[in-house]
Amino acid sequence: MPAKAAKRRTLLQVLLLTAGLAVLAVISTASIILVDRARDDSALVTHTVEVENQIAAVLLDTRRAESAVRGYLLTTDSAFLTQHEAAASAARQDINKLRDLTADNPVQINNSLELKAAVEKQLDEFRKIIESVKHNDLPGAIDMVRAPNTGEKTERITELSGVMRQEEDRLFVARTISADHSQKIASLVTIAGSGLVVALAGLSIFLVRQSSRARDRAEAQLRDNYLNLEETIAERTADLREANEEIHRFAYIVSHDLRSPLVNIMGFTSELEELRGDIFKRIAALDSATSATPDSPENATDTAEPVLSEQDTKLSEEFNESLGFIKSSIGKMDRLISAILQLTREGRREFEPVKIDTRELIEGIVATVAHQAAEANAQIRVQPLPEIVSDRLAIEQIFSNLIDNALKYLKTGVPGDIAISGRTKLGFAIFEITDNGRGIDPKDHQRIFELFRRAGAQDRPGQGIGLAHVRALVRRLGGTMSVSSELNSGSTFTITLPTKWTMSKQGKVV
Amino acid sequence: MSKPVTIIMVEDDEGHARLIERNIRRSGVNNEIKPFTNGTDAINYLFGPDGTGSAHKNDALLILLDLNLPDMSGIDILRRVKENSYVKCAPVVVLTTTDDAQEIKRCYELGCNVYITKPVNYESFANAIRQLGLFFSVIQVPQADT
Repeated sequence: MPAKAAKRRTLLQVLLLTAGLAVLAVISTASIILVDRARDDSALVTHTVEVENQIAAVLLDTRRAESAVRGYLLTTDSAFLTQHEAAASAARQDINKLRDLTADNPVQINNSLELKAAVEKQLDEFRKIIESVKHNDLPGAIDMVRAPNTGEKTERITELSGVMRQEEDRLFVARTISADHSQKIASLVTIAGSGLVVALAGLSIFLVRQSSRARDRAEAQLRDNYLNLEETIAERTADLREANEEIHRFAYIVSHDLRSPLVNIMGFTSELEELRGDIFKRIAALDSATSATPDSPENATDTAEPVLSEQDTKLSEEFNESLGFIKSSIGKMDRLISAILQLTREGRREFEPVKIDTRELIEGIVATVAHQAAEANAQIRVQPLPEIVSDRLAIEQIFSNLIDNALKYLKTGVPGDIAISGRTKLGFAIFEITDNGRGIDPKDHQRIFELFRRAGAQDRPGQGIGLAHVRALVRRLGGTMSVSSELNSGSTFTITLPTKWTMSKQGKVV
Repeated sequence: MSKPVTIIMVEDDEGHARLIERNIRRSGVNNEIKPFTNGTDAINYLFGPDGTGSAHKNDALLILLDLNLPDMSGIDILRRVKENSYVKCAPVVVLTTTDDAQEIKRCYELGCNVYITKPVNYESFANAIRQLGLFFSVIQVPQADT
C-alpha cells in the first residue's frame, strides 16, 4: 500500500513541523520570561549597590557635618556653620533617600529608621554644640564634644550602617546567585530547544528524502508503464492491422470465388435461352404439322418468330420473364461482387503522398463530366482551393464520386448548380461540395455512407458503393467527412483532410 | 505435322469446362479436348508416370489453364510446363477469373502465351471463347520433340 505509506509520511511530516513550531514557541516564551527575570535580578543587584552607596553617602555627610561643627568650634567662623548646615541637610536627605530605597526590605527599613534616629540624635547634638558656641559658651561646647556618649553615638551610626551594609551584601550575593541561576536556565533552555529543533529538522529532512525517493520510484514506474502502454498499443495496432488485412483477404477471396459459379449460372442461363428458341421453334413446327395446313418443315424453322398457339405464347412469355429475372439478378450480383473486389483492391493499394493542386485536379474531373453536366443542365463552379499533400488517386476518386453524385441526384426541372469551395484551418484543408439537388433526408445521413445502402427515390442506377468508398478513402487519408442536407433543398458534403498527409499518420491498411 | 493438336483443358469447374468446350466446338474446332478438373491429374498426364514429360515426345499440345485449382495454383503447372524440355513449346492459354494485374504479369513472366479473364457476362464469355477457338484453328503448334 504505497498510498497509505505516503499518507502516513505526510501526516508525520505535518506533525513534525507542528512539533518544531511548538518547541520554537516554548523556547521563545521561556527566553522572554528568563530574560525578564535576569533583568529584574540585575536591577535588584544594581539596587543593592545603590543602597550601599546611599549608606556611604549618609556616613560621609554625617562626618562632614561633624567636621564642620569641629571647625566652627575651633574658629567660630560662620563659614563652617554654613558648611555644617549644608552637610546636615544633605545627611537628612541622604537618610530619607536611603529609607525610600530600602522600602522593599522590612529589615532594612528598621535599620534605616534606627540609623535615621541615630543620625538625628547626632545632628541634634551638633546643633546643641553650635548653640553653645553661639552663646559664647565655648567650654560647655567642648565639654559636650568631650562627653563620652558623643563617641558612642558615632559608633552607633557606624555600627548601624555596618549592619545595613552586611544585609545589603547578603542580598547582593543572593541576588547575584539568583541572576546567574536564571541566566544558566535561560541558556539551558535555549540549548535544549535548539537541539530539539535540529533533531526535528533532521527527522524532517530524512522524511523528505524518503518521500522524494518514493516519488522517484513512482516516476520510474510511471515511465515503465508508459513504455508498456506504448508496446501494448503497438501490439493492438498490429493485431488490428492483421485483422483488417484478414478481412480484405477474405473479401477478396469470397468475391473471387463467388464469381466462378456466377459464370456458370450466367452461361447456362444463356444456353437455356438459346435452347428455348429451339424448343419453341419445334413446338411451332409440330403444331403446324398436326394442323390442317401442312407447312413444309423448312418453312417453320426458317421463320424468325415461330407461330405459336395462344397457350404456347403465354408459356414462352413466362419462360422469358423467368430468364429475364435470373439474368438481371446475376447482373446485379456481378456488379456487387465487382464493387467489393474493387473496394478490397483499393484497400490494399498503398497510398503515396504527393503535392496536389486541388483546383487543377478538380477542374480535370469537371472536364470529364462536362457532357453529363450539359445533359443535366447543370453548372459546376470551382472556387480557389488550397493545395494539399495527399494521395492523388484517392483524392481524385473522392471528388469525382461526390461530383458524380451531385450531378446524378439533381432536382428534375431545376438547373443544377454545384459549387466546390475550400479553405484551410489548423493544418486541415476543408472542402465543401454544395449542390441544389434533391437533398437527403436527415434520417438517412448515416445510412448513405454504409456499403450497399442508398437513400431517396431509387430512380438512378447505382450500387450504394460510392459514398462508402469515399468515406473509407477519407479516413485512410486521416480525414473526416460529413453531410448536411434537407430533403429538396440541396446537400453539402464537407471533407476535412490534413494539408500534409504522411504515411505515419495513418498506417498502411495493406 | 503428322499428329493433330490435342487441347489440354485444366479447369476445376465442370460447368466452365462444359461451356468452354461447347463454345470452342461452335467455332468449328474439332481437335481432341482432354479435360482435367484438378492440377494433380493434369500434371500426371502432362509429364507422364516418370515425370519427365517424354510421353508427349511427338505430341502437339495446347494447354488451356485455369489458375484457381483445388489442389494447386495453375501458376505451378505453368512453371513446370515451361521448365520441361519436352512440353515447353506448347502454347499455354491462361483462362481464369482473376484479373489481378500482378498475377497477369507473373504469368507472362513465366512464359504464358495468352492470358484471358473470364467475363461473367455470358455474351462476352462465349464471344471470347469462340474467338479463342478461331485462334486455335489457325495457330501453328510445334511438336514436342528432342
